[in-house]
Amino acid sequence: MIKAFSGYSLFVAAFCAALFSFTLTAPAIAADTSLSPSAQFVQNLGNTALMSLTGKNINRKTREARVRDILQKNFDVQAIGKFALGTYWRDASETQRKEYMGLFEDMIVQTYTTRFEDYSGQQLKVTGSTPSGSTDFIVDSQVIQKDGPPVNLQWRVRSKDGGLHIVDVVVEGVSMSITQRSDFSSVIQNGGGTVDALLSSLRARKG
Amino acid sequence: MSKPTFKIFSTVLLLSIMASAAAYAKPVSNNAGNTPQQISDPIEPVNRFIFGFNDILDRVLIEPLAKGYNFVLPQFVRDSVQSFMHNLQSPIIVANDLLQGKIGNAGVATARFVINSTIGIVGLVDVASTQGLKYEDQDFGQTLATWGVGNGFYIVLPILGPSSLRDATGTFTDSYADPVRIIADNTNHQWIYYVREGLQGLDNRSRLIKPIDDMRRNSLDYYAAARSAYVQHRDALIRGEKSDGAPNNAAAGLDSDHP
Repeated sequence: MIKAFSGYSLFVAAFCAALFSFTLTAPAIAADTSLSPSAQFVQNLGNTALMSLTGKNINRKTREARVRDILQKNFDVQAIGKFALGTYWRDASETQRKEYMGLFEDMIVQTYTTRFEDYSGQQLKVTGSTPSGSTDFIVDSQVIQKDGPPVNLQWRVRSKDGGLHIVDVVVEGVSMSITQRSDFSSVIQNGGGTVDALLSSLRARKG
Repeated sequence: MSKPTFKIFSTVLLLSIMASAAAYAKPVSNNAGNTPQQISDPIEPVNRFIFGFNDILDRVLIEPLAKGYNFVLPQFVRDSVQSFMHNLQSPIIVANDLLQGKIGNAGVATARFVINSTIGIVGLVDVASTQGLKYEDQDFGQTLATWGVGNGFYIVLPILGPSSLRDATGTFTDSYADPVRIIADNTNHQWIYYVREGLQGLDNRSRLIKPIDDMRRNSLDYYAAARSAYVQHRDALIRGEKSDGAPNNAAAGLDSDHP
């Protein structure tokens, strides 16, 4: 109970810190580079993530919960998951789809939790955005590393229902969604062409 | 005809044959439309076998070496090694820039070579990039692509890793025309070439510790994920000098699935 409470208060404190720093830095950034709303959205997300996810002494469970929270608020997980399953989405039953979406989200949460555990001082610098189609924006950014050259990162941000959500992240030309889709479709093809092959693989991975 | 003259002659001949072949080749559509970058993989079982072999070799030898390299040498020394390697590639880069009709880029690469070889102490310091002359990689695979040659199919090369019929041809051609190899060959000091290749590989691998580790851990089928990432990355390089051009196309498939 005490442990749970301290974890919670830590979270609240971090959240307040994130909010506070956000109110302090946001106008400065906006004034500096006059970022468009989609670019500002990604920059804010980067600031929030660095603030609340990268601490070295956050335990795994807490970090996971925070990653999940940020993921659900800022990413269109449903759209990404559906895309990653590709044409097999059509073949899947309602039960399979539901289980798949749950496992898919868990997988992303696990992946990003580990990435933030391994965080070593990188900073996100948003450089601009361009519209793509009628609903999307491509936000350009760079991950500035302490050791090594900057990494080019692009975000596909979609405006839907009055809010902005990320639907893809592209690292040096490599789309995470497309790579995920190739990965999944290979598992399905090598497992007899059924979605069950993927589901059992995802289940096994979750452990 | 003396040996070096013959080699230069045959290289030029090979290039002109390829250039004329390219004239007949169908241009690659820059718009992949609704299908994300795909590559055919007719020899997948063989590729998977070689990929598995490379992976084991990497885990037991190359990755530990690369980690050791990162651990033992400070950043500025590793940067110097990279600058030196980049500088040695300059002739190949200039040649490919010219073959692609990128005169401006060829000029930049030439200026880099002159500045870094002299003021930059035989290439150990990348002085040119502080003057706005940035390093930009070019290889014959990219040249073939700009001439309209498609990927062909996916090939995993032993030790060298993911490639395609086109890119493997490019790798072979580049190393054939490589002055370092030609000089090493003609002076009977082949070791120079092998040491260079080894160091080049080590330098490349040492900069990819995290991404490769990440992909190994986070993919269900590492082979399929690596294949997709390779094709997308090459595609982005070919599509624009700046990889910023990538996402419009790369994520296009998303739209198709979510009207």
